[in-house]
Amino acid sequence: MDNREVLICSGTGCLSSGAEEIEARFREELKNKNLVDDISVKKVVKKTGCVGPCSLGPIAIVKPEKTFYGKLDIEDVPVIVKEHLQEGKIVQELLIEEDGKKVEEYTDLNFIKGQKQIALKNIGEIDPSSIEDYLAQDGYQALEKVLTEMTGEQVIQEIKDSGLRGRGGAGYPTGLKWEFTANAESDEKYVICNADEGDPGAFMDRSIIEGDPHKVIESMTITGYAVGAERGYVYVRAEYPLAIENLGSALETARQEGYLGENILESDFSFDIEIRVGAGAFVCGEETALIKSIEGERGMPNPKPPYPAAKGLWGQPTVINNVETLSCVPEIINLGSSWFAGIGTESSKGSKVFAVAGDVRGTGLIEVPMGITIREVIFDVAGGIPDNKEFKAVQIGGPSGGTIPAQYLDLEIDYESLDEAGAIMGSGGLVVMDEDNCMVDVARFFLDFTQDESCGKCPPCRIGTKRMLEILERITSGEGEAGDIELLEELGEKIIETSLCGLGQTAPNPVLSTIRFFRDEYEAHINDKTCPAGRCTSLAEPYVIDPELCIGCTQCVDVCPVDAISGEKKEVHVIAEDICISCGACEEVCPVDAIYQRSNKEEGDKNNG
Amino acid sequence: MAEITINGTQYQVAEDQTLLEAAESLGYEIPTLCHFDILTDVGACRMCLVEDQETGRLLPSCATQVSDGINIVTDNQRIFQARKTVLDLLLSDHCGDCEAPCTIACPAHAKVEEYVRAGREGDFRKALAIIKERIPLPMSIGRVCPRFCEADCRRNVMENEEAVAINDFKRKAADLHYEEYTEPREELTDKKVAIIGAGPAGLGTAYFLRKWGIGSDIFEKREKPGGMLRYGIPEFRLPKEILDRELDHFYKMDGVTINCSQELGRDIELEELKAKYDAVVISVGCWQPSSMRTEGEELAWGGIDFLEKLSQQGYEMEDPGETIVVGGGNTAMDCVRSALRLTDKNVHCYYRRTEEQMPAEQIEIDEAREEGCNFEFLSQPVNLREEDGRLVLKCIRMELGEPDDSGRRRPIPIEGSEFEVRADTVIAAIGQKTIAPEELPTNDWGDVAVVENSYQVEDNVFAAGDCVTGPATVVEAVAAARKAALNVESYLKGEEFYLPFETNVSQGHWESLDMEDLDFVEDPRPQERVELPMMDAKTRVKCFDEVSETISAEKMEKEGERCFECSCTVKNNCELRDLASRFEIEEPVYGGFKTKTGFELEADNPFLVHDPDKCILCGRCVRVDNNVQCSDAIDFVNRGFDARIGAALKQDLGSEDSSCVFCGQCVEACPTGALEYRPFISERLEHDLESTETTCGYCGVGCKLDLQTNDNRVIKVGSIYRANIPNPDGEACVKGRFGYEFIDHPDRLTTPLIKDKEKGEFREASWDEALDYVADNFRRIKGEDGAEAFGSLCSARCSNEENYLIQKLMRAAIGTHTIDHCARL
Repeated sequence: MDNREVLICSGTGCLSSGAEEIEARFREELKNKNLVDDISVKKVVKKTGCVGPCSLGPIAIVKPEKTFYGKLDIEDVPVIVKEHLQEGKIVQELLIEEDGKKVEEYTDLNFIKGQKQIALKNIGEIDPSSIEDYLAQDGYQALEKVLTEMTGEQVIQEIKDSGLRGRGGAGYPTGLKWEFTANAESDEKYVICNADEGDPGAFMDRSIIEGDPHKVIESMTITGYAVGAERGYVYVRAEYPLAIENLGSALETARQEGYLGENILESDFSFDIEIRVGAGAFVCGEETALIKSIEGERGMPNPKPPYPAAKGLWGQPTVINNVETLSCVPEIINLGSSWFAGIGTESSKGSKVFAVAGDVRGTGLIEVPMGITIREVIFDVAGGIPDNKEFKAVQIGGPSGGTIPAQYLDLEIDYESLDEAGAIMGSGGLVVMDEDNCMVDVARFFLDFTQDESCGKCPPCRIGTKRMLEILERITSGEGEAGDIELLEELGEKIIETSLCGLGQTAPNPVLSTIRFFRDEYEAHINDKTCPAGRCTSLAEPYVIDPELCIGCTQCVDVCPVDAISGEKKEVHVIAEDICISCGACEEVCPVDAIYQRSNKEEGDKNNG
Repeated sequence: MAEITINGTQYQVAEDQTLLEAAESLGYEIPTLCHFDILTDVGACRMCLVEDQETGRLLPSCATQVSDGINIVTDNQRIFQARKTVLDLLLSDHCGDCEAPCTIACPAHAKVEEYVRAGREGDFRKALAIIKERIPLPMSIGRVCPRFCEADCRRNVMENEEAVAINDFKRKAADLHYEEYTEPREELTDKKVAIIGAGPAGLGTAYFLRKWGIGSDIFEKREKPGGMLRYGIPEFRLPKEILDRELDHFYKMDGVTINCSQELGRDIELEELKAKYDAVVISVGCWQPSSMRTEGEELAWGGIDFLEKLSQQGYEMEDPGETIVVGGGNTAMDCVRSALRLTDKNVHCYYRRTEEQMPAEQIEIDEAREEGCNFEFLSQPVNLREEDGRLVLKCIRMELGEPDDSGRRRPIPIEGSEFEVRADTVIAAIGQKTIAPEELPTNDWGDVAVVENSYQVEDNVFAAGDCVTGPATVVEAVAAARKAALNVESYLKGEEFYLPFETNVSQGHWESLDMEDLDFVEDPRPQERVELPMMDAKTRVKCFDEVSETISAEKMEKEGERCFECSCTVKNNCELRDLASRFEIEEPVYGGFKTKTGFELEADNPFLVHDPDKCILCGRCVRVDNNVQCSDAIDFVNRGFDARIGAALKQDLGSEDSSCVFCGQCVEACPTGALEYRPFISERLEHDLESTETTCGYCGVGCKLDLQTNDNRVIKVGSIYRANIPNPDGEACVKGRFGYEFIDHPDRLTTPLIKDKEKGEFREASWDEALDYVADNFRRIKGEDGAEAFGSLCSARCSNEENYLIQKLMRAAIGTHTIDHCARL
């Protein structure tokens, strides 16, 4: 018993599904049973960072068996304590079932099995507040190695040889970035860790900082050593309070233990890190805007060149890397560049974390080797599409990315292949969409986000995206005109060509890629005034109630958001077609399937006949 | 030094500069809206994009440093399109009015606001000068113009109000000062032009050509000049006495002759004129009455023939008896109203559509009705015959069908609805056609054909007026005359004729607006339109006297207060408008000019007005505020499309928490009218401002200022940006920028005053007396108490020169060093 540990996933997904209550219950249960005193309870029950499979939360992993208990109910806790912790028996009925088999070990889950964890390696394994846990996973070994055995040039060469590329968006070779900064002449240089993760749905950087903060510290310190900087900043958004807290206390511990500050590990090298909290502007993920924000000004980008490697923070050479990129560094140093370069494709090495969301069984964070196909990610790792729906498309790269249709399912994921398919690696947002999604509406959704987040500095982004959004809104509300698609394409290309920074240069991507692959859907909205997926409510036809079938249960009356349905109890109900917004809520609740849209009904009849 | 390539040519240039600076110093022109010489560039506006030949990327030249080997192209189709898209987007989010809608509506684009403003100030001579920049015949046009300007006047937005009586300002100004005012004319050159036809177009062409130093000989086939003004518009609307006064000006014009009774093809030949003159302008008008295309139409008068005959006979004609006028235009109304004055019998007007579709001005229709005309609508003549010494007009009833090409509903005959009416005289006033000189090409309508977008017919022959457009108005004729004259001038100089395109951002027609849209109008008080004094209908129908009187000057001055002055404060020097015009942007493609916005005008302080609707977010004001003045009073706020410039906490610059010091540099930097000096707004219609460089005397910093004056009155204080002056960044403070009111203050002393010791009152004195008085006393005091008894304090409102002189006087003449002045010179 005293060897066993209970790891409670404390990622945001699990917290929102009740992880805190589960954790408290574990402590309470252990305490009630007088199994351990308070101190050892704390030791035995640990909060970890995000384990990954959010759709299975709340999650507890019991070590050393690595038994995975998912979708936990508060009442499951005493059972696990009694049977597993006390009696050493795995609680079979609480295991997750996959492909008809109970999965015992956490690493045997489909969701974990298909992964190649480098950046996420420790997360879910360690307690982020414990430097001992980190050290037990070979933490700070890489730092010790570079400080004692390597010169800065050798570190840079190692990173260059590994083929590591930026994980935050553009995929620029990390080693080259370091080399430029190292070669820039200046007494003062800076390392910035970009943790301003702004893509909606992407949370890998937050997970890493929350779950493995020492890795970020170790990586930044190595970077500082390599490029000759003595100061680093972590730019993290205020919406990530747990990340700020965990990183803050990790910084404190690292300083106390001599891994940060003056003469690190008794070497000549000194380096310290400060946290800068951003207000959550998407544009501050752009490096020049991020620098302005750290300097205390409004986060607005500046033209490049000059690049930050030459003229960055306070006008000094600065290397900016994203959290995930940095998190690969200690592993590369420890295991060697050739190990890292052995993973992935010709141009893209290592692995990449994706935040999987949307119409897919397994949502959450996954880290997969470069070169894996989209099909493997969605169907093998993430478990495929639920409810027997058809896969339609996947949006990769968030609001700056593009939508990739079914014919690209076997595309091997790397920077270049995604680019060719009209998407980008970006920060790794991966939204799976089934047949019920309207691609025009999807484009409108993403553009609405970027339009809102434009900093306002350059007209193509500030006004151009607004004009595109207006055209899209016109189309989805049934007022599209002939020529609108061409107008969107023309304006989109102009915005890409003339915008100042990456935000504007990529903002039209979701629109252009959906036009490229789903032009017929746009045409249906414009020419036939119909939304093939039935999502655009102002284009959808109203619902009607079959008076022969209606039993007058009033459920539809209660659920209608616009009060379009009238009728007394046990009398036939009627939908006012001019008020109905075709949301379909009534159809879903009707117990006797009396509610339908005329064309669907006719089509159904035809098919039946 | 770095070697760079611009548009294929290699240059050696200094490295310490941007591509924009390097290219500009080499004579390349690159448009920009966010670059401002004294500020660090940030590459915001994207207008200065150039193409990097190595990478194919578009680079912001303002924010890219020169580097060795860089190879750029500053203009090509791709760059042009990129810049045009940016401008297009900026304009789609730029809400305001470049020009006032009245000026845009006026075919001659007369500066309406300016002359109304002059009238409001009682300066009708100045008003006339402004009018005559574009309108050569203000007396006539001031009476007969259909007032396109007034139809679009924004005063109409106000409840229960009508347009400003704009045209009456022309009439008033011309009636008062026409004879005494001569428009500026350039010295005559040796070029000479022949003009055929002395109507509005011909006279107008001669007028504008003469202004630009080109003389002309006008040939007129009728006995007297004036064309339609004389022979087409009856006496009661435009008295011949008035017309003669107006034309006298042309007779007195050096280098211009009017030769009457000279008909083309009879007395003069086109070929001869072409050879003899440098150019020939055809402006023969539209004099052929259109046919009714009915049997017996020869029994009817042509409308224009009737009016011409009447005028030739001095408005004495035998009683036409009961009269039917067919037609619904202004000529028809003139015929109706003339007939009413010639007979006691009934006068009818037959028109095939309804009153709403009548092309005549509503006021003409109303006045005709007042005078007793009986209108028969939806009636079309079928034939005309003579019976028992009278005329019988057979008509058919019509009904309105679908709209035709003109947008008016097409009249369709109702079968079997024919009816007959009897009359003594029938006048067919259904339009006129051009009788084009035989030698010249014509278009489908029989009008003189000109080369597209020009006024040139062929070789050195040009044409303007009704003979090109078909029957139109006098103001349209003089507008065409100006353009034709410009065309002739270009031709004579051997230059290509090009009418520069001008972008006009507009909030839209008044019908689509309400008072909230016109947030630039402060305190719009209701005031009814001035009434035009009309002779009572019963009296006027008995004579051909002018039906209306010119309104009194006092009333017109008051009327001037009704003008909203809608145009932008920087209509003449807006960088955005200049660029948009250069790129010929008429209406943005991706979304039109904005009419409604959520932004409000910010002006809760006495110095600056901020109109966020006109802001293009170039950020110049923020940079000048944060980096030059270092006030940190303004910055960007909000994100996305709602991003704007604002002060902290959404407050006005004048609020207690604002750190704004009202130096005005943001206004100097603003490329549009988004930021403006508040005192300038009421002075902005003054044009031809004179610039005087001066040094501010308020303190010792020595800020250079640009005093912009009109008639020796300070209108605004600008900045001077120049290296090697004490403040090369054009700084100023609130005093230097706004403290100039005292210069022209009515309370300012302009004569010396000497205090009467007994009465304790000041009395006016002559300069000699005052200076003697001071000198005597100075001498006395110095004799009694010595130079040390003197001390001098002089005012910051004196000029630096005056301050210098007073210290010189004190030191050299009096002998004291006890001198002070806030500038500590």
